[in-house]
Amino acid sequence: MLPIFHSLLTMKDRRGFSALYITPLRSLNRNMLSRLTWWCGELGLSVGVRHGDTTIAERRKQALKPPNLLITTPETIQSMLMGSRLRQHLAGVSHVIVDEIHELADGKRGVQLAIALERICEYAGEFQRIGISATVGNPETVGLCLCGERPFSIVEVPVASRLSLRVVFGGDRFDSQVEMIEEAIEKTGSSLVFVNTRSVAEAIGHHLIPRGDVEVHHGSLSKEVRIDAEDRFSKGLIKTLVCTSSMELGIDIGHIDHVIQFGSPRDVARLIQRVGRAGHRIDQISRGTIIATGFDDLLESLVIARRAVMNRTEPVSPPLCPADVIANQVAAIAVERGECGIGTIQKILSRAWPVSDCKGLLDDCINRMEEHRLIRREGDLLIKTGRARKYLTTNLSMITDERKFRIIDYVTRRTIGTLDESFVVGWIHTGAVFITRGRLWRVLEVLEDAVTVEPAPKSMGELPSWEGEQIPVPFEIAEEVGQLRRMRNFTAYGADEASVTYINRILSEMEKNRTPVPTDRLVMLEHSKEGVIVNICGGHKANEALGRALSILVSARFGTSVGIEVNAYRIFLRLPKTVGATDISEILFSLEGEHVEAILRIAMRKTALYKWKLVGVAKKFGAIDSDAEYDKISLHRLSEHFDGSVIEQEVYRELFSRYMDTKAAGEIISRIRTGETEVRIGPLSIIGSEGLFSSRDLIAPPDMDQAVIAALKRRLDAQEVILACMHCRSWKKKTIVERIEEHPECPKCNARLIAVVKPYEEENIQISRKKKKTPLDMEVEKRMLKSANMVLSSGKRAIIALAGRGVGPDAASRILSSHAKGDGFYKEILKAERKYITTHRFW
Amino acid sequence: MKPRFLPGGPALLINRSISILVLADIHLGVESALDCAGWHLKSYTDNRLQRILACIDEADPDLLVILGDLKHSVPRITWQEHTELPRVLDAIRRQVDLRLLPGNHDAGIERYMEPEEILNKNGVIIDGTGYLHGHTYPSPDLAGHLIVAGHHHPVLHLYDEVGCSLRGTPAYLLAEVDEGQLRMDSVSSSTRLLLVPAFYEYAGGIDIRTIPESGISPLSRSIRINTAEVFLQDGTYIDTLGSLRSDPHYRPSA
Repeated sequence: MLPIFHSLLTMKDRRGFSALYITPLRSLNRNMLSRLTWWCGELGLSVGVRHGDTTIAERRKQALKPPNLLITTPETIQSMLMGSRLRQHLAGVSHVIVDEIHELADGKRGVQLAIALERICEYAGEFQRIGISATVGNPETVGLCLCGERPFSIVEVPVASRLSLRVVFGGDRFDSQVEMIEEAIEKTGSSLVFVNTRSVAEAIGHHLIPRGDVEVHHGSLSKEVRIDAEDRFSKGLIKTLVCTSSMELGIDIGHIDHVIQFGSPRDVARLIQRVGRAGHRIDQISRGTIIATGFDDLLESLVIARRAVMNRTEPVSPPLCPADVIANQVAAIAVERGECGIGTIQKILSRAWPVSDCKGLLDDCINRMEEHRLIRREGDLLIKTGRARKYLTTNLSMITDERKFRIIDYVTRRTIGTLDESFVVGWIHTGAVFITRGRLWRVLEVLEDAVTVEPAPKSMGELPSWEGEQIPVPFEIAEEVGQLRRMRNFTAYGADEASVTYINRILSEMEKNRTPVPTDRLVMLEHSKEGVIVNICGGHKANEALGRALSILVSARFGTSVGIEVNAYRIFLRLPKTVGATDISEILFSLEGEHVEAILRIAMRKTALYKWKLVGVAKKFGAIDSDAEYDKISLHRLSEHFDGSVIEQEVYRELFSRYMDTKAAGEIISRIRTGETEVRIGPLSIIGSEGLFSSRDLIAPPDMDQAVIAALKRRLDAQEVILACMHCRSWKKKTIVERIEEHPECPKCNARLIAVVKPYEEENIQISRKKKKTPLDMEVEKRMLKSANMVLSSGKRAIIALAGRGVGPDAASRILSSHAKGDGFYKEILKAERKYITTHRFW
Repeated sequence: MKPRFLPGGPALLINRSISILVLADIHLGVESALDCAGWHLKSYTDNRLQRILACIDEADPDLLVILGDLKHSVPRITWQEHTELPRVLDAIRRQVDLRLLPGNHDAGIERYMEPEEILNKNGVIIDGTGYLHGHTYPSPDLAGHLIVAGHHHPVLHLYDEVGCSLRGTPAYLLAEVDEGQLRMDSVSSSTRLLLVPAFYEYAGGIDIRTIPESGISPLSRSIRINTAEVFLQDGTYIDTLGSLRSDPHYRPSA
């Protein structure tokens, strides 16, 4: 900051906001303010902070008398560009500093900021841009995001060489893991304990808070509680904070001696960022300890720690041409200017690197926004509409806010919990059944902010309890974990004695059970009670892609739904009993890498994840308000409305970059096809059952016919029929189709001339046995003989056909003579039934 | 009588001495209501009109019977409806005579229709078949007939061992009814009810398994479950309602 202060002081005429300091978080803003206030006071410069928590009085003051240095967030810049007076102040900008730029550049917020900076340029002209980050694997790309085509330089301070990392195994049980944390925090002065989820933070806090020197800090806590915890920590009143990523970014809370990471940090960048909080000075060593909590977790931690020391941070990957950001900024520019030439917008976008090359897309976005009545086009001019301002004020941020829905028990009228919006969008419809608090509930009604439910008895295992989006483990790390399982050079990775003992215990147990250890060169397909576990060290995104591709192929071939759960090392496919590991193996080998994406495009459509992303993008396009009432429409059927649109296109872009890695999946498949990776089948192993799946979904059969045929098969299997021997004519038996063998025989005379009649035709059997028959009786007998002859020659196929609704011997013989096989055979039955229904006398 | 199922609607053609095309719950103008609820979709009225005309073209009926809820907004007519309805109705009239059994969403529709086009909301018999929207008690005249009704938006979910394999597909329900429940005198031949799925494509619908308990209409309460059968929009027979309700993968709550 000092060179910037210098430049501000030597500037001839300072007007408006001369410098903007942009950070991703409000708490970081507050922290920067307290750090910079002293300097500015001494130097005679004014400084202010402006973000969502700033009071109206303070905002007004800033509008009248702008501080020289303004600390703010990307979203607040969006709202400042909406105000005419603030725009004037922005015209004075000469320096922009973006702190923790990796955090922004990795997502849509960064793209939005890149465009915002170009919008400021329109008023302020060129200004100096500075990006700050402790962990970037690819600073060149991040530089492009910040500066576009302008020349820039990179100043690097080596971080990794100052890292001192240790990985320890915390034991199998949570109690022993927490004891480990206690030991670690007692050894040193002040420490941060990082965990990956809020619930784990709460659980550890529950154990440690009674000590009196520990506090919990995460995003669900109120601002006051968090600030209080930060204050007490920096004053030394407490010596440990248990925190989530909320403390990851550079909030200064005084000296930290030691960082403890509870559970694997999932990727290298996160580990460096978190451990970097200790020491936090250029000449100090950052000390960190990872307490690993299981087999996967321990190996993963070892791999990540080693990569961190080798400074192999993952590259930041900015979204390229995200259509929803473009649409959002088109609306923003229209509101900012009232009306604006398309050429001007093109010019602004072309300077912002992430969207510099998306010309056709701009047109699509404009058309779509016009359809949603956010802008009007007149020739080359875009004009804002009445709705645009309201849209913009609720869509300043590219972060998807999730609404919470209360779950109300209809019987007791009590609130029993909350559901995330993503879960409501993906799964909830009237009649749906889901699990919460270990019980099953059926949805009665979806209201504006609540879902009413009633207790449900047993049901299909459709809806899982929900876990939010999790931090993915990259392909490279999962692969290296696979390599480590194979090479077993644990000490080379710095594993201590206790860790090696634990790992060897697991591995020898695997050996004892004769279950091979899946590695980077071995994919194990393991049978379990409910399905097949595919052990692939592919990381979350590749496994997500592979798992979904496999599921769609299974559901297409067998006409069944497939439940899917995925983590970095395994895919769990929930299957009916008829589908086994050999089928999965066959399908895995039939898969071709380059087809994965095309397969997934079909597979994703009806899934919960797709619908949730669709809603998210449609909201940013102004098609859906953030508080839209979900009970007014069938989302399931609405998704067709967006087919082929730019909104759908953006959903796929995001899915294939953020959630699924088809390239890595393709790589895994080609290794399987070349034999570089072996595939074997075995029983369920302790590694395979380790579980902890992070995402769940259900893939329904791609084609409606398959679900219908599956239902038909179940109905025909359960159909009651009566078998009657037409040879000795003295045997008959009532049964259901499923129980009949391939070629039924009369137990009395061993003949295979068996007629099939429906229960309501039972009297026909008596008629056929009559000694004296009327012509009508003869006709009945003839039909029964025809049926029996069909069973004689075609066996069970004939019986299945004859079990169809209203399918008599004539229709059955047409079905059989079509020689249709598999699903085709059942389609013929459906056709015959339809014909019967439209002609049957009952109407 | 011979029915013909037109999956492109969903629509139903009923042939006796004349042929009658039946459409239910079109909900024209729904977009402006959705707009208020936070869903900003462009009007699909033209798309729906094209689908209607395609059905007429395919079936070549003598008469078009709309089973109510032709329009969406209640109690007021919206600007969207005011501007779109005349055009849609004229386009239909050019092809075929039409009749409407007014539904609970059809308030104010009289302005746009000829008096003879609007039938008794409690139902009428045309060519031996009874028709009504379905939110009211049916007229006693309909006893002993096949009653074709809308209003219920029936949809079917299919389940397999793993989960829901087909979600929310429009479906028909055919069942005998308990005349007593409908305040009808019992008659010699049974009174049967055919619930027609909604033509309106965003309808979430009511799970067909739960219609008897839904309490949504007198008709729904009168369904004799053991006689009920379920068909898809192309006439594919799925199963009896009873066996769908006792499907081991699906259990309605007590």
